[in-house]
Amino acid sequence: MGSTGLRTAWALFQGLLIEALPFLLIGVLISAIARWLAPGGRWLRRLPQGPLLAPLSGALLGFALPACECGNVPVARQMLVGGAPLGAALGFLFAAPVLNPIVLASTWAAFPNQPWLLLARPLGAVLLTVALALLLGLLPEPLLLQAAVLAQRRQALPLQQASLLQRRDGVLGSAPPPAPSRRPELAELLRHGGQEFLQLALLLVIGCAIAALVQTLVPRQWLLAVGGAPTLSIVALMVLALVVSVCSSVDAFLALSFAAQVTPGALLAFLLLGPVIDLKLVGLLGLLLRPRAVLIASVGAMLGVLLIGQWVNLWAL
Amino acid sequence: MGEPVGALSRGLALGLWAAVLLRSAGDGRLDLLLRAQYHPLVTLAGGLLAALAAAQLLVALRQHRGQQGRRAPADPAHWRTTLATAAVALLVLAMPPDPSFADLATRRPQDLVAAESGLSFVLPPLQRSLTDWVRLLREQPDPRLYDGDAVRVSGFVLPVPGEPPRLARLLVRCCIADAAPVGLPVAWPADRPWPAADRWLAVEGVMRAVAGADGQAELVIVPTTIRAIPRPARPLEP
Repeated sequence: MGSTGLRTAWALFQGLLIEALPFLLIGVLISAIARWLAPGGRWLRRLPQGPLLAPLSGALLGFALPACECGNVPVARQMLVGGAPLGAALGFLFAAPVLNPIVLASTWAAFPNQPWLLLARPLGAVLLTVALALLLGLLPEPLLLQAAVLAQRRQALPLQQASLLQRRDGVLGSAPPPAPSRRPELAELLRHGGQEFLQLALLLVIGCAIAALVQTLVPRQWLLAVGGAPTLSIVALMVLALVVSVCSSVDAFLALSFAAQVTPGALLAFLLLGPVIDLKLVGLLGLLLRPRAVLIASVGAMLGVLLIGQWVNLWAL
Repeated sequence: MGEPVGALSRGLALGLWAAVLLRSAGDGRLDLLLRAQYHPLVTLAGGLLAALAAAQLLVALRQHRGQQGRRAPADPAHWRTTLATAAVALLVLAMPPDPSFADLATRRPQDLVAAESGLSFVLPPLQRSLTDWVRLLREQPDPRLYDGDAVRVSGFVLPVPGEPPRLARLLVRCCIADAAPVGLPVAWPADRPWPAADRWLAVEGVMRAVAGADGQAELVIVPTTIRAIPRPARPLEP
């Protein structure tokens, strides 16, 4: 890659970053407002448990807290550390970027003549989310969640779910602090929100840098060249979704530009996979989940999307 | 590092990110990176970040004066994060984007303009932009319909392997990461070398339907005047 390529990569990096930062800020603000309105997160612990109901309830929260895939990471972290059922937090993390009014409206605006897509996208996202929540639910929380998230989560969980020995301040140490039930002071809210934004921004920077370099090094024609082949087109569009890393609120408009060149299953695969995992998101997900869990979630999402895409192609072609 | 210093460094780092967003909106670099409809969102986010930064600095000041002074040492990981993000923000501020449109376009598939764009009306030939011409050709692809039409368009020079360069524009849905090129062939004057890639040109002339390499008729701009122009303030088209 010569100096011209570097200039292009630098512009792509800035484009991706500056487009994503406002959404990240929205997510951090929603998370801070949730901490302020519901200190201690009692309502989070009242979300349904159960392998199906938990991810479904988390997914539906996307309608109440519209955030794209960058913005929903701080909200999902707030859910996890607040003691929400694991399935609900994962359901929100993976489905909210699709199941929210902004994304559904943009999908409708981009594809007004393809109503099946407006139905298939949210349905596919719910299916994928439930599958991923079930898959990740097989892992014990210490193998699934990052240590910092797990420690805070155990402070918030009732004793039936997290024993004193599992808490950092267990019976051998000082008495466990009571879950905070009063509203945090403004200074504390600012400290937490500011630090969270900077932490997530750094991860976003890393993700955008990787996405910009890959976009510069891999010509997009290579991916779209196989547009007509049923399985290859799905795989190619999945790779494109991973690489392009655009926000879920606008990815439908991008998909519109190559919709005529690819199979319907590939089109849906692009719209389903990008909101769950892409190069820009890997770092952000790493803040919540351990690397192995991120890998399992990524591979699981890709397999799930491939199956859904294949089914759509069988049905439509 | 005590908490007042932590709040101070956070405030400064957030302030730098606010400066990145606000300066991008102010110095025109957003026009190179994002579609215009997202510009207000970036400005708003910059303003919010600036307010957050100011609040952090106020907290730092109050804590320094001992009103709420907590002298607990800050987490070194937080300190590293703050420094690293501040460094990236400084780098972004210091190095504005200067992409090569031709380089970007050659890495993208061409002619993927959405046929669904649906032209509601057609402008007179001299008022059509290059993108308008491409969209019109997608809707009504018979080149003979436009043979002899006057044309006045601008764009950058996009090299095409094995063919003369085209005059092109980049279309964006959201940001430069999803930019897709559209272009028209030009019958460049035979007595001059082809213009250099990435150069911005304003071209006036007429449209001619000619036989392409594959025997099919194609529309070519036959220029009467070619003028070098600076890159437009808003080079990306919706």
